[in-house]
Amino acid sequence: MSDTPVLRIRDVRKRFGDHLALDGVSLDVHEGEVVTVIGPSGSGKSTLARCVHQLEGIDGGAMYLDGELLGYEMHRGHLRPLPDRRVAAQRGRMGMVFQQFNLFAHWSVLRNVVEAQVLVHGRRPEEARGEALRLLERVGLAGKADAHPRMLSGGQQQRVAIARALATNPRIMLFDEPTSALDPELVDEVLSVVLDLARGGMTMIIVTHEMSFAREVADRCVFMENGQIIETGTPEEIFDNPASPRLRAFLSRFSGRAAHTPDERELEEESTF
Amino acid sequence: MSVAPQAVAPRTVDVAAARPRVRPLRWVAGAVLLVLVAQFAWFLVTNERFEWPVVGTYLLDPNILRGLGMTLLLTVIVMLLGSVFGVLLAAGRLSGFRPVVWACAVYVTVFRSIPPLVQLIFWFNLGYLLPRIPLGVPFGPTFVSWPTNSVISSLTAAIIGLTLHEAAYMAEIVRAGVLSVDGGQRDAARAMGFTAAQSFVKVVLPQAMRVIIPPTGGQFISVLKGTSLVSVIALSDLLYSAQVIYNRTYEIVPLLIVVCAWYLAVVTALSLGQRRLEQHFGKGQR
Repeated sequence: MSDTPVLRIRDVRKRFGDHLALDGVSLDVHEGEVVTVIGPSGSGKSTLARCVHQLEGIDGGAMYLDGELLGYEMHRGHLRPLPDRRVAAQRGRMGMVFQQFNLFAHWSVLRNVVEAQVLVHGRRPEEARGEALRLLERVGLAGKADAHPRMLSGGQQQRVAIARALATNPRIMLFDEPTSALDPELVDEVLSVVLDLARGGMTMIIVTHEMSFAREVADRCVFMENGQIIETGTPEEIFDNPASPRLRAFLSRFSGRAAHTPDERELEEESTF
Repeated sequence: MSVAPQAVAPRTVDVAAARPRVRPLRWVAGAVLLVLVAQFAWFLVTNERFEWPVVGTYLLDPNILRGLGMTLLLTVIVMLLGSVFGVLLAAGRLSGFRPVVWACAVYVTVFRSIPPLVQLIFWFNLGYLLPRIPLGVPFGPTFVSWPTNSVISSLTAAIIGLTLHEAAYMAEIVRAGVLSVDGGQRDAARAMGFTAAQSFVKVVLPQAMRVIIPPTGGQFISVLKGTSLVSVIALSDLLYSAQVIYNRTYEIVPLLIVVCAWYLAVVTALSLGQRRLEQHFGKGQR
């Protein structure tokens, strides 16, 4: 069983109108592995995360979670889409952290972390509450359980979002630019939580613009451009020994400037809406 | 002229000592208003055709109060049913399934275009178009049927007509509310493994309430006034109860004053309630 990757992505294609956002992406993520995805704005990294989580449908290829086909099933010799309920159940086995946090604005911090456990995974409320408090403790926000999301800073909101995603014991965590919407001084508190998860053996895909973090946390690093994976390798291979000229050009833009490039982030934000 | 400001030494200027400007137009407007109000009050008091003592006797008349009760009951029923259908219509319009989206859009267009008065008369006369209401297989055999005129009383006609009209308005209000909720909220709900229905009921709708509730208060008030239309199909609401009395006594004006007084009282109370709601929900929650 251990040689089955937690997540297997095979030749996935995704189209937005005329634009080919993902152009034959293949990637395996194994148990306990941390894969960081870097690349310029519009390279398809966020789309990849959203497709894996089935927030966007894919137009071709296939994805497997623990060997189970995502979003489709065989029926009388044909593939057909799964019913909404079963897609929802598959999503419930993965955790997603968004750029814009997306905490449920009408619920307290605690309820944000409790609700999916009860509603989706059928846990008893007391049990879910205990688990939620434990997770909030772990991200350093035990004291904020009764606060409302709007009363928290961006960094605190994102840490709650991480606790919320962890609450259902996901097989894999997907981070879609978790620090891109944060003020620079709030980035580190979120990254340290993610790093802590990585050390704890969580399987993760992290889409990020934070180059030094992408290098530090990764077991493997993926460089994407124009909807394709251009290069895959260990952080040392990618950052110290880039093989392709495109990766070299991309990295040189970062070495010349600070990692937080505001104009770049704004561009990426626009493209995700 | 431009020399004048320089003539004042800067140190001696303190705007706290400024006197208010004289605004003659305001005085004129005030005077005109005063005259108009006085004239109207004089008209109310001196014109004996208002028959104020009659107004006093009928204000708490049991028939009038029963009519008021019917008006309130009808308003509540129509608002409840209209809201439920409105939510269903809005959900249909946002479902993304073309035929359903279309059907809901056509419904909203049609029922917002037809005046409720026309609808009421139409539903009341449904028996002409459809003498019996059948239950059976479409285009196939009928199992049971009821004579339309025994099913459609003036009360059912009123409820159907006003509800269908109200549902179309509520659908648009709910739709605007749902669209106002950030798309990321729905993404997050789906990402947590919520089904589409759970996401709508648990996450989207509660947050849409902030946008839905204030105009719904306005709808409540306009439905309340709209129920006066049912007097044309002889349903004994507030207005019809007054008409029944003045058709007998010919005290038309005083009874209409009674009706106005009650509408004014109820709508004022509702408006105060609505202001509370708006203060509560209108504040940015995010």
